[in-house]
Amino acid sequence: MKRKHLHLVIGMAVIALVILMSGIAAAQDAKEIMKKSHMAYYYAGDDGQVEVNMRLFKGGRERTREFSMLRIDIEEGGNQKYYTYFKKPSDVSRMSFMVHKQSDGNDARWIYVPAVDLIKPISADDKNSSFVGSDFSYEDVSGRHWNEDNHTMVNADGNLDGKAVFVIESIPKDEGYDGFAKKVTYIDKENFLPLKEEYYNKNGELIKLFKAEKIEEADGIMTVTVRSMENVKKETKTIVEFNDIEYNVGLDESIFTERYLKNPPRKYIK
Amino acid sequence: MLKRNILILTIMMLMAVPLHAELYIDGFLQGLYGGRLDENNPTATEFTASETRMQLRAEHFGNVAEFFGRLDFVYDGSDSARYDWELREGYMKFRLGRMFDFKIGRQILTWGTGDLIFINDVFAKDYRSFFVGRDDQYLKAPQNAIRMTVYPGFGDFSFVWTPRFEPNRLPTGRNLSYFNPFAGKIVGEGYYFDPPRPEAKFENGEFAFRFQERLGTFNAALYFYKGFYKNPMGAVMTPDGPMAVYPELNVYGASLRGMGLGGVLWIEGGYFDSREDQDGDNPMMPNSSVTGLIGYERQVATNLTANIQWQADMMLDYDTYEEQQIAAGAYVRDEVRHLLTSRVTKKLYQELVTVSGFVFYSPTDEDIYARASVEYKYTDELILALGGNFFHGESSATDFGQFGLNDNVYIKATYGF
Repeated sequence: MKRKHLHLVIGMAVIALVILMSGIAAAQDAKEIMKKSHMAYYYAGDDGQVEVNMRLFKGGRERTREFSMLRIDIEEGGNQKYYTYFKKPSDVSRMSFMVHKQSDGNDARWIYVPAVDLIKPISADDKNSSFVGSDFSYEDVSGRHWNEDNHTMVNADGNLDGKAVFVIESIPKDEGYDGFAKKVTYIDKENFLPLKEEYYNKNGELIKLFKAEKIEEADGIMTVTVRSMENVKKETKTIVEFNDIEYNVGLDESIFTERYLKNPPRKYIK
Repeated sequence: MLKRNILILTIMMLMAVPLHAELYIDGFLQGLYGGRLDENNPTATEFTASETRMQLRAEHFGNVAEFFGRLDFVYDGSDSARYDWELREGYMKFRLGRMFDFKIGRQILTWGTGDLIFINDVFAKDYRSFFVGRDDQYLKAPQNAIRMTVYPGFGDFSFVWTPRFEPNRLPTGRNLSYFNPFAGKIVGEGYYFDPPRPEAKFENGEFAFRFQERLGTFNAALYFYKGFYKNPMGAVMTPDGPMAVYPELNVYGASLRGMGLGGVLWIEGGYFDSREDQDGDNPMMPNSSVTGLIGYERQVATNLTANIQWQADMMLDYDTYEEQQIAAGAYVRDEVRHLLTSRVTKKLYQELVTVSGFVFYSPTDEDIYARASVEYKYTDELILALGGNFFHGESSATDFGQFGLNDNVYIKATYGF
């Protein structure tokens, strides 16, 4: 009886261990996949330049933003620097904007207003603020670190419009975070690009919906060239188109300084 | 008439510019209409603004240099109708070697850390525009200057030389009344004000210098200015009586600005060395002073940003000043003047609507100036705005108290192209 009992205990322990291990493995898998996806989406190449056309839709009306964007990766998956030069509309044209993204979360942002020759640091407390009035937040533009959420694999053999996908659920570690309470991401198994993201609030209601509308090879790297973000609650939508994409341009880090904020690097702005 | 001919000539020249692929032209058309709320304002007109403005911007990027021009044409119907135009900016920018950046021509210059409070920024301001609802860009008046910035590998050094002194643009009595110390009261029509600038001599140019360097997430700067008070703070006796003048001034200062306490923090100080009254005993000239400010800005909630600033300005040799002012029966300011300001900006509806307010309040001068506006981006091109400027002071001789009769509201429509 005793032996039998021991077998049972060992057997249960093994099963429990296997379940636990596979759980950890799955969590690790999910985290690894999120990391890979993050790298594919935000860290393509060592640097990049792109012409962006942003269209904001609300109640049948459309607004446009046009800007050039430069990015340099200081460390893969870590610190990055962004430079944005606005062309349209008229009231923001010629303004430039710079972000030094820190992996510790303390991003630094500056804006230059040429009409008054003013460089102004922007308090970067709220990453969920809208980027230039669009449905994309600052965090959507420069990326939320995969370490800030707990990831779970919901479906390792998912299918989205005929594409094989991983479906991963992410819950923010910080309970005070108010960007979303839950995010479900559909990641293309082939290139690890996010095809769809659903953002839910605390009541489980869908608040925002991201879609990769068009994926194509740009300068040798698979890139989401058209993306959209829909604010389901506010009934607004933003469609962003990337044109003239170039990777590994050889951008110098000195471009991402006040000197160039005031004197836009025309060479890289079309 | 000459001015008008030049205007026509300029328009013709602009029209004649071939639309070369690398010359970009854009701009805006704007209508601004504002009226005063106070009775008995002695100004020439009841309109603080009634103008139509067209701004044209042109830029060209060459291989070695860039050109930028910003030209304003204004029809001003607030009093007797008149046309005006101004080259707001017209400069070339180029780089020599790796270290030297040059900006030469008519340009807007800004530095320092304060939000609408200026210590080491001794560049020309336009309060005539600021007080009547023109866009923020008009607070800065252009200077005809040469700017050289040097980047030696540690920080950067800026040198600005303005050969001909450029004063602040202050209310003249036409659209806005002001306190005239010679008259001892708030004046308007009949007191148009345009004090003579320092003689056009080489040594009367303005020189401004800044060195700045990043210290971690902070930006530290040192400043120096040699020139004149931008406001006519002094007076000289002439056979026709006293005449306002711009006294000589040196400013030495420093500032620090960076991220902290979940927002942006800044601190700045300066020593104003009144060159023509170093002992503080000349009643016709301003005393030297030491001034400092501290500020903090943060995002209070999504799309809601607020800041606060505190400035303290201490007059040197105050006792002498106090005796002189009492003897002359004039307003006596406090030895240390405090100024508190706050800006609140709220963006709504996908940033289509911006509501903002800015308040200056001095507990020592007992005066206040409040600005408020609502802006609506009806389309990408058309922006509508409604706003107001409100002044109040216990004495009519203080910085904001003197504008006490100029409370105004305005509407503004801007079409960008």
